[in-house]
Amino acid sequence: MTSPVATWTANLSSTKKRRLLFALLIAVELLALALIATYLVGYEYVETGVETAGDVETVTMQRQLIGDPALLLLVLIAAGLPILSRNLRREPVVLVALQAAAAGLVVFVVWPLAGVLAESFREEFGAARFSLLQFERMVAQPIVWRATKNTMFIGIVASSLATAVGTLVAYTLTLGDIPWKRALRILTVVPLVSPPFAVSFAFIMLFGRRGLITYDLLHITRYNIYGPQGIILVQLISDIPLVILILSAVFASMSRDLEDAAADLGGRPLHVLRTVTFPLVTPAILTAFLLSFISSISDFGNPMLIGGGYQMLATQAYIQMIELFDLQLGAALSLILLIPALAAFLIQHYVVSRRSYVTVTSGARVGAAYTRKLPGWIKWPLFALVLFFAAFNLLLYGSIVVGAFVRTWGFDFSFTLRNLNGVVNALPNLKNSLIVSVGAGFVGGVLGVMIAWLVSRARFRGQRELDFMATVMYAVPGTVVGIGYILAFNGSPYFWTGTFFIIIVAYAFRRLPVGLRTSVAAQKQVDPSLEEASLDLGASRVRTFAKITFPLLNRAFFAGVIYIFIRSMTDLSSAVFLNSGRTQLFTVRMFRVMITGTPSQAAAFALLLIVIILLALGLLSKLTGKSFVDMFRIA
Amino acid sequence: MAESFTTASVRLQNLSKHFGDLRAVDDVSLEVQPGSLICLLGPSGCGKTTTLRMIAGFETPTVGHIFIGGEEITDVPAYGRPTAMVFQNYALFPHMSVYENIAYGLRARRVKRAEVDGRVRDALRLMELEGQERKSPPQLSGGQQQRVALARALVIRPKVLLFDEPLSNLDAQLRVRMRGEIRSVQRRLGITSVYVTHDQEEAFSIADLVAIMNRGKLIQLGTPRELYRQPADRFVAEFVGLSNIVPVEIVSSGAEEAVIRVFGQTLRSRRPRQHSDNTTALVLRPEALRIRPEGATGTPARVVSMTYVGPIARYVIAVAGDGEQLLTVDLYNPRPDEFFPEGTMVSLQLPDEVPALLG
Repeated sequence: MTSPVATWTANLSSTKKRRLLFALLIAVELLALALIATYLVGYEYVETGVETAGDVETVTMQRQLIGDPALLLLVLIAAGLPILSRNLRREPVVLVALQAAAAGLVVFVVWPLAGVLAESFREEFGAARFSLLQFERMVAQPIVWRATKNTMFIGIVASSLATAVGTLVAYTLTLGDIPWKRALRILTVVPLVSPPFAVSFAFIMLFGRRGLITYDLLHITRYNIYGPQGIILVQLISDIPLVILILSAVFASMSRDLEDAAADLGGRPLHVLRTVTFPLVTPAILTAFLLSFISSISDFGNPMLIGGGYQMLATQAYIQMIELFDLQLGAALSLILLIPALAAFLIQHYVVSRRSYVTVTSGARVGAAYTRKLPGWIKWPLFALVLFFAAFNLLLYGSIVVGAFVRTWGFDFSFTLRNLNGVVNALPNLKNSLIVSVGAGFVGGVLGVMIAWLVSRARFRGQRELDFMATVMYAVPGTVVGIGYILAFNGSPYFWTGTFFIIIVAYAFRRLPVGLRTSVAAQKQVDPSLEEASLDLGASRVRTFAKITFPLLNRAFFAGVIYIFIRSMTDLSSAVFLNSGRTQLFTVRMFRVMITGTPSQAAAFALLLIVIILLALGLLSKLTGKSFVDMFRIA
Repeated sequence: MAESFTTASVRLQNLSKHFGDLRAVDDVSLEVQPGSLICLLGPSGCGKTTTLRMIAGFETPTVGHIFIGGEEITDVPAYGRPTAMVFQNYALFPHMSVYENIAYGLRARRVKRAEVDGRVRDALRLMELEGQERKSPPQLSGGQQQRVALARALVIRPKVLLFDEPLSNLDAQLRVRMRGEIRSVQRRLGITSVYVTHDQEEAFSIADLVAIMNRGKLIQLGTPRELYRQPADRFVAEFVGLSNIVPVEIVSSGAEEAVIRVFGQTLRSRRPRQHSDNTTALVLRPEALRIRPEGATGTPARVVSMTYVGPIARYVIAVAGDGEQLLTVDLYNPRPDEFFPEGTMVSLQLPDEVPALLG
């Protein structure tokens, strides 16, 4: 009755069966790779010379390799190395997951970044040969030097100020005995849930040439918000919440016993603060500083809106590339931008994070911290600072809400719904944004959980390298991602620029690090023996993942998906490079309206985006069963 | 349930596991007979857990082979092996009820629904867990969680049962009760078991054979009695019970027995160990020694300290000799005339015959 094949396989020992399956798997993989190879590389006959002798024209042709053989080789290595491990050969599912992760990271992280590096050193755009001279020539242009200097200046000033203010606010909010804590805690981190450049827009509405406060209230006409001062102010508003989140978690999880011990040994409050509290949080403060530095120099939307022509690397890279079509100078500017960002990331990753005394877990409950009694002359000024920052945020976002529903901001404050017309016209863009953001959210979320499992549970060589590849994008400015993807995938044989596919992939890999870290943290809370028990009871790897690992990690997964969704909805810096007319994204449209339209029209765009983000956070709160306030932490 | 078990032998052949430079398990060979329970005993870090995890398939051996029932399974992943483990922390799935936990392995094997139910009920009955099936693991007491873990392992009818320090999270009384239950279930079902523990008493009370491990190596394999009476070396002697290890002088050594001198007394040893020189060491168990008031026959010694722990008076005495040798002496149910204050002189009496000499 049974087929001969079935009888034959039934007679094999389990070891032989597994070897057979393994061989089959490798064969399928090779076939898939061969198919990709025919797409990636090919031969083309290129005319190399024409000789005319009398009537006879001799054309010499040469066979040339075209396409991306280097990438193919990299993929081959990435997918091939895992096969060498006996541990992995034993478990084909883990092997395939690792191969997929490694190949994906090589193609969508390493390759575009390598593209930026390579392009900066080509003899001319797209040339096969490299030269230092060309790079030197480009770097010698005054604009490069100016943009570099400006970027570093803004980055250091904005992140130092943000760190100082954010630390004080976090300390007061977490450990001070002050009133209205709950409300203040939300208000101080509210900028996290809006598109970053909405802040500069609100600034312009309030302090611009016809700003509500500067012009209408104070009748100042000479004040100019456009320029470096504007950029710094705006970045402060958007970076302080980041600092607050990092430090609140640390302050909250800091053991009170240490401070009590110091006081018990005779330390006065200020002495304890200086000798115990502060040294304990120093690594976290440095982390906050470095991360807000990265955020500041990567910022694209705010300098474009409020910079008033102040030249910075991210904006200049865009202008050179998209408006002046100098791809090579754009690449060089990106490279220069990438260096300090990567340096800050490496310092954080390898130096600062190793010295942290306080372990921060995703589950740190900020509300549970024990409040310290502070003397009044310290407490009330700190409280005033927190209050001011919260009130300022309220003012900024309030003006967006109000602005969306008034006739003409600054002139006519009567109620109207006509600003919504512009938004209705932009609904196709909103749809595009939703498609890419939902797509990126799921792709990135799945990748995050998968790679988190690989780096924290599987055992193989190169685990740290994989982790690094998956995390490094955190430091890569959106502009650089955009340029890298264009350089890597714009031409033959891909022509991917402007497609939904490439935008989804770019967002997924760019925001992967946060999803990954969330999942790794969650993974660490789960006892490894649970998975072992499942395997031991005979459940396959896939079943174990579906029934044990994932159910215990799903909060982290949803948090990752929603985070990536929100960041993708609000992204501008990569979008401007990667979208096309057909795939134009909501933020890009909104950005144009902010530059060319009336403030009220733009406010309606920003408001809609904020509402969508709040809805996404509400959904996450439902999915994870946590309070809505907690949701701000992930944003 | 009992009749449907088929059990199998376990054989480890030159098994080694290296983590970098560390040799966690170093060339261990071992055979477990079908239906018997073997304990891997040793201090923490001796490689016993790593050995167990290699049998379960959680670690890949660096060198060596593992056979279950004659079939090599060295490269078979954990889910393909006929083993079931009871974990130290039970590893009960927190998001599933007791019933779902026990049914997990059966569902993973795609056993039919009706059969799953029947077998889970059997297992619940066997482990006296009826009425608990709807609870979630954290609602159970430690002992109940332990039973669920055992039921979950047994229900899939493994050929080999593995225990990774299963009792270390229980309090002392419960530990004694549970190990009795584990032993009786294992006997009843006749299932080959490998049991890891660092507790000598637990190992001796539960195992058919005990394998003592240290620094990744298998030092000695034997019944509890053999290990206690004839420890292979100083490490085993010290690990399987409180020991006094004293230097001895061999007077004469034959094939059957040796005559030795310790503290000026002449004794016989049944199992002599051949040595090139004439001095070696001897294990003197504290309970084998006696002390009498000064003046009785024996070696003079001084009482250094006395601790009274209910049924036992534990003395530390100093025997004068070349240097001062400290010995522990346990007196069971000491009579009133067997209490000696610190500092008094006493006479140490050795048994006529001692089990073995150390290499």
